[in-house]
Amino acid sequence: MRAIIGYVALAAAACAVSLAAQGTGSITSQEIAEGLRDPGRWLTYGGDYSSQRHSPLTQITPANVNRLVPQWTFQTGTTGAFQATPLLVDGVLYVTGFNNNAWAIDARSGRQIWRYRRDIPSDLHNCCGAVNRGFAVLGDRLFMTTIDAHLVALDMKTGSLLYDVELADYKVGYSATVAPLAVKDKIIIGIAGAEFGIRGFIDAYDPMTGKRDWRFWTVAGPGDPGFATWPQTGDAYKRGGGSIWVTGSYDPEQNLVFFGTGNPGPDYYSQNREGDNLYTASLVALDADTGKAKWHYQFTPHDMHDWDSTQVPVLADLTINGQPRKVVMFANRNGFFYTIDRVTGKVIVAKPFVETTWAKEVGPTGRPVLLPGNIPDENGTKTCPDLGGGTNYMSPSFDPSTRTFFVTARETCATYYSWEQPFQPGVQWESGATQRPRDQKNFGALRAIDPVTGARKWEFRYPTVSSSGVLSTASGLVFNADGDGNILAFDSRTGKNLWHYQTGSGIRSTEGTTYMLDGRQYLLVPSGSTLVAFALMQ
Amino acid sequence: MKSWRSILVPGLFCVFTSGLLVAQQAPPAIPDPFPAMNPHAGDREAIRNGMSLYRSRCGDCHGLDANGYRGPDLMALIAGGATDERLFQTVRKGVPGTEMPASNMPDDQIFLVLAYLRNIGTVAASDAPAGNAAHGAQLFAAQCSSCHRVAGKGGRLGPDLTRVGSARSHAALVREIRNPGEVIAPNYETVTVVTRDGQRIRGAKKNEDTFSIQFMDQRERIQGYLKADLQDVIYEPASLMPAFGPERLPDADLNDVIGYLGTLRGVDVNIPVQPAQE
Repeated sequence: MRAIIGYVALAAAACAVSLAAQGTGSITSQEIAEGLRDPGRWLTYGGDYSSQRHSPLTQITPANVNRLVPQWTFQTGTTGAFQATPLLVDGVLYVTGFNNNAWAIDARSGRQIWRYRRDIPSDLHNCCGAVNRGFAVLGDRLFMTTIDAHLVALDMKTGSLLYDVELADYKVGYSATVAPLAVKDKIIIGIAGAEFGIRGFIDAYDPMTGKRDWRFWTVAGPGDPGFATWPQTGDAYKRGGGSIWVTGSYDPEQNLVFFGTGNPGPDYYSQNREGDNLYTASLVALDADTGKAKWHYQFTPHDMHDWDSTQVPVLADLTINGQPRKVVMFANRNGFFYTIDRVTGKVIVAKPFVETTWAKEVGPTGRPVLLPGNIPDENGTKTCPDLGGGTNYMSPSFDPSTRTFFVTARETCATYYSWEQPFQPGVQWESGATQRPRDQKNFGALRAIDPVTGARKWEFRYPTVSSSGVLSTASGLVFNADGDGNILAFDSRTGKNLWHYQTGSGIRSTEGTTYMLDGRQYLLVPSGSTLVAFALMQ
Repeated sequence: MKSWRSILVPGLFCVFTSGLLVAQQAPPAIPDPFPAMNPHAGDREAIRNGMSLYRSRCGDCHGLDANGYRGPDLMALIAGGATDERLFQTVRKGVPGTEMPASNMPDDQIFLVLAYLRNIGTVAASDAPAGNAAHGAQLFAAQCSSCHRVAGKGGRLGPDLTRVGSARSHAALVREIRNPGEVIAPNYETVTVVTRDGQRIRGAKKNEDTFSIQFMDQRERIQGYLKADLQDVIYEPASLMPAFGPERLPDADLNDVIGYLGTLRGVDVNIPVQPAQE
């Protein structure tokens, strides 16, 4: 209560001063590497570098979760929905929103401390909404990509702009929505815009100067061995897509960052880009210091269904056939769940987690065994899943104690059309479209998967597809949302639904975070353009 | 059993699609002055781009060949003399009371779509000549109005048809009368709930989530239930509207009904400013 009265009474600048007194307010890369060890912090998109989104907190349990009640609601007062994971540093939440907005919010009361807004150019080209997936924090700075393809650094205490770097030219379709990843002395980001014929990349920037340290092209060009998978003449690789719009993971031991890459462009008509089209629809393992690829694995060679592999790579150490293995787990938009050796890049397990009609299986070499009749054409071909995929940008979670991977699954199919479309800078260049078959009934589900076998342990179905991420906790809970605004809690071992609350809007990208504040465990849920904080009824 | 009466029901369609939509911003204005000629008219490459834009943004409702599916036949509109300015305005502002939304597409992209439509718009329109609208109105009053409302009169279990003439193609109307179960609008799917005491209530679903369901029963009462309070929820593939096959509605009568429906283009609901009382 003390803090609440203080914040209401004081102006924003004074709030920042009082917050400074609560903690150092300066985050080191070592503290990010320690992940969720400090229960009062959430310092990076996936909770920690493994992106497991599995909290060690145990105050909210299967036995008492039905006593969760809202504590406060923050309304942005803007249009557009949250897709961000809020960060928490010393009692203050830092969250980005729609249309290049961002806020610092008192985590005790839900009251705004500062707001940042960057104007959006009127000639912006954007396929899918001016969304953003969150901040990175390093030192006393926040880092945010913008829909007009810039990277900005903000002062954590005031929200004022410290630097502004142009990543690429928004006028021809480049954009950025990813939450940056702070690793050691670098801010790692990716570029989006593949629907406009861009050439994707992953960049590392100096957090103090904004100077670029390295770039990895997600579409191989001349001089790169991967260029052999593109037409050797013409400009196909210059327009080859490979967006990055979901944050990757980091393995400090190997000093490797892992990012999933987007689909090749144009999306559906692929005759002018013969070959596998590396490194699109792939998982790439990059040296964090140099950006050089140690290995890559391509989930969908020569994709024709808009199946970006921009899902979250989840790192874990598992025992498989009696052997300790360092793995990366990946539920892909193409409908397959993968467990991959993260040292070698070799596939250990690959199994569909939704209905898939395009590939019979993933063969022993790691290459999918294709089924006939799935090449989009002018008359349309039906394939499952739809362009939204078996899952998408929503974050999964992993409970190492029960060895369970939780993913929001989408059961969908689409009729895919393709036709040749001339490339024109700044014009959407999908070369096709999709329609939902008229007899198709889509639905969603939360599914629990054993990453050693790929087998499903349990599922909970929703009447419509959901875009919510997952959060699990050490007390045996897993949180997820349906497609219609309900936040739900489940027993993580059985899938039994224990609690729900109708927030009034679909929950996207992230289910939210959990943290301790003043001895209480909070569950923070971004829903529509609001944040809702829950805690146990006192 | 817990039920709610007279609740506000948000459209399920909005819930389904909101994840894909950009924020609802005020659409840009119509170009002023409107160019005398589409800047892309006759440009082969532009027409190709316009086809892509059309198919991905418009084709689902208006058909990939623009001959209309659920939405109106655009070839008929063009053959009927619709100007570029009128078509542009319709795309930009949408059509209130129908599924046609306002578009935030850049002006140039709308011109690309129009260039494509003009290019294919030289073929004959698919809409058949209308029947006897006066007779159709009588048939409608006798067989349809208990469930469908027109200009404030009639039932509310089925969709309001006040503007159906500008919202549906001729082919779509034939399909929806002969075989109403083929495509059911999101807010009119048939559902039957079975209460704890065994009572079965049938109606048109208005909304649903994992834990609750909202519908209009056949007596036009809005009902809301928690699923935990129900024995069962039965989703029916058939429409609440009976199929009007040729035995029930001969082809000539069907044509007359469609002729009448084609005249339904909306009513002015604006109440004029009333003089202040002395």
